[in-house]
Amino acid sequence: MTAGTSAVGSQESARASLDEAAVERAAAGVALRLPRSPHRGRLGDVRAASTGSSMELSDFRAYAPGDDVRQLDWNAVARTGELVLRVRHDEVAPRVEVVLDGSKSMAVSRVKASRAAEVAMLVCRVAARQGLEPSLVVTSRTPRRATGAACLTAARAAEADAADDLGAALRRSPPLRPSGLRVVVSDFLFEAPLDSFAALLSRGTSALVFVQLLDGEDADPGGGSGARLVDAETGEVLERMLAAPVLEAYRRRLAEHQALLRRAVARARGTLLTAVADDGLEALWRGALSPLWEPG
Amino acid sequence: MSFGFPVGLLALSALLPLAAAYFLRRRQRPRVVSALFLWRSPSQRAQAGPRFERFSREASLLFEALAVLAAALYLADLRLGAQADRPQLVVVVDGSLSMSARPARGKATADRAREAVARAVSGEGAALLTVVESGVHPRVLTGPRAPVVEALAALEKWKPLGAAHDFSPALLFALDLAGPGRRFWFVTDGPLPSGTAVPPEAGVVEVGEPADNLALVSAQRRDEADLAQVTVRVASFAADARSVEVSFHGPAADGARPGGADRSESLRLPPGETAVLRVSFANAGPIEVRLPLSDDALVEDGKATLLPAPVPELRVGVLEGLGPAEKAALERVLDATPGVRRAAAGGEPAELTFGPRGSKAQVQIGAPGPQRSFVGPFVAEKAHPLLEDVGFGGVLWTAGDNPPGRPLVTAGSSVLLSEEEAGTVQMNIELARSNVQRTSAWPVLVGNALRCGRRAKAGLPRHQLMLGEPVPVVTEASARFTLVGPEGERPVLGAGAVQLPAPAVPGSYALLRDGREIDRLEVLTLDPRESDLRGRAAGLIDPKREAGLEGGAPERRRAAWPLVLLLCLLLADFWVTARAPA
Repeated sequence: MTAGTSAVGSQESARASLDEAAVERAAAGVALRLPRSPHRGRLGDVRAASTGSSMELSDFRAYAPGDDVRQLDWNAVARTGELVLRVRHDEVAPRVEVVLDGSKSMAVSRVKASRAAEVAMLVCRVAARQGLEPSLVVTSRTPRRATGAACLTAARAAEADAADDLGAALRRSPPLRPSGLRVVVSDFLFEAPLDSFAALLSRGTSALVFVQLLDGEDADPGGGSGARLVDAETGEVLERMLAAPVLEAYRRRLAEHQALLRRAVARARGTLLTAVADDGLEALWRGALSPLWEPG
Repeated sequence: MSFGFPVGLLALSALLPLAAAYFLRRRQRPRVVSALFLWRSPSQRAQAGPRFERFSREASLLFEALAVLAAALYLADLRLGAQADRPQLVVVVDGSLSMSARPARGKATADRAREAVARAVSGEGAALLTVVESGVHPRVLTGPRAPVVEALAALEKWKPLGAAHDFSPALLFALDLAGPGRRFWFVTDGPLPSGTAVPPEAGVVEVGEPADNLALVSAQRRDEADLAQVTVRVASFAADARSVEVSFHGPAADGARPGGADRSESLRLPPGETAVLRVSFANAGPIEVRLPLSDDALVEDGKATLLPAPVPELRVGVLEGLGPAEKAALERVLDATPGVRRAAAGGEPAELTFGPRGSKAQVQIGAPGPQRSFVGPFVAEKAHPLLEDVGFGGVLWTAGDNPPGRPLVTAGSSVLLSEEEAGTVQMNIELARSNVQRTSAWPVLVGNALRCGRRAKAGLPRHQLMLGEPVPVVTEASARFTLVGPEGERPVLGAGAVQLPAPAVPGSYALLRDGREIDRLEVLTLDPRESDLRGRAAGLIDPKREAGLEGGAPERRRAAWPLVLLLCLLLADFWVTARAPA
């Protein structure tokens, strides 16, 4: 695979190469692994963090004017002579929010751009099949949010054209909503403080998964000659001879960066999944992304 | 720190293509990466944006730039602390017009002089050169103590056009510049005039060559009303009789009226003879006179531009209080004198006023008190401009009390005419009882007063000057006057009639009053003493006294350390570029 060596001019939209058939095949056989902690979302069949009208008892409290009198615990009233109200859990369909990185580094190769869109599309498709409420935030130059069936359309139209990194892009994107599960698809290759970045994304969600999608050249660059390295987002230039010591130093710095990212995600009680885009979607959902799905 | 060969610093211009090569370097294909920071070693600084890329191999560029600098220093012959030891040569070049001669065969005299200076520099092993141009006022042409290359380059622009002059001031000036007991050289074009004081430290190089020359030796123009009369004198300094056609080109001064013309006059001049030509032009602007000779050795003295020189108009006022006889006598003369305008009441102020004794007039007429008549003898100060050509034969002069001021004309114990300190003229005369107004003395006397009035007007009394003539200027105390010409600006200090030193360069000069041009004159390239080239000669006179040059240490060799530095820098650059990047 040589896509990673493409020049600036070869950056293209991922729309043309999306393998939606593979997404549909994958979505048919998996279900999202939801956390056991209470969720937030619209009315459904999963116990919510908020109180509501399900059969599961949450607590007792004194009656206040305006409360539903049907929820009075008459036995307790008889025992105590006071109006005691049963407080029950609400039942919701949890929201699954997918954040797709729209920075230019996600389009250094066509396979990386299309694989990122496919992963986002797969999570949204699986969530919809489970009766959950999918929501997709794309942090491209013109950030946008889509919910429900519109997520697939948004994933198809996603452009990786933002000149800033994901941390900066989140500040100009639509605000993240409270959700049961938040999946962030990015390469996470930027120099922002990772702890605060992970903490920001963990806010208002019960579960957080970082899917780090790298191009083959990101993970294991080829060498042997001199190159003018151009940063995909800033356009900065660095001339290097890609000799073995230089490549080795790159791999070492990438590993250090990933270790930092992993620690930051763990502090935010999230999960980091690292995948290489060149592997194909089926290999990804069966392999690197398998912790996303319910076992079996 | 100094440079023996400053032109070598031009090698620094190699820095530009060097920097351009770094900017334009595109050796590798661009390769887009997701995270450039992972490729950068921690010691590397952030790179600039894509439009103006910073050098990515700064060490290499630095070494190469320093190598260029070292090469430039080597070529420029850098000398640290060696200034004082460098030998200085002082050369005086003759700045007179004859040095511009171009003999029919051989080189121009000025070129020979330049070669003589170059030979003197080479022969003396000088590193610094001071060139003094002799003239009415000697001046430093290049230097003092200029590097030889720079001084010789400046000498290329030298054009001698000065008047004949005494060389002694320039030679003494050169002696001062060279230092006591130091040798210097004088380059001229002919035998030195007898009586020239040549210091024993001076060597004389004569680079002249005898040549035939026809020249204008004088040119004058006089304008009366619309008529310009040009008088030129042509002289032959040739060995045989020569024919020449003198051409006059005078375009019309006022295009709306007919006038101006092109004329030519043929002459045949025996050797050493002169001829005078007079030509008149009506309504002519500047008139150019030319001697078109193809084999003339000195072209410069064969042309002259004569500017219009009209009689300046004078506004005259006659104050109230004069008797009818005085008034009538005055007005009769004023009406008959050209260039006189009566000042109108309420108009521009009069430049010369006539009035009765005790008024504010500049010429006061009147004989108050007991009167006495005189028929002579009259004692007059004939040198005074007011009395020029005034004859007192047959004059009956009736005078009153003696007026104040310095007596100019007296008869017995009476002062008939006097001049006060402030310039007021007192005419102690009772015209009703005198016959002065009926003699020729009266119009001449009033005419002289008018001429004195004209001379007091701000401007240039003369519009054509020969080489070496001082410039007469009349200024007013209330304004700032400047003379602008080929030499630049020269402020005119002083009020009234002022004489400026002779200009060193011929050409057109303008007089400015508070920045506005009010008059113009032409310094003509004419000097009979310089036009005679028959006695010019070549020769060499060594200094009479053995003397050395200032700072006469032997010329040191070019410093080699910049070359060593250059090699070290090239090796360092090779090491930086050849090693594998960490």
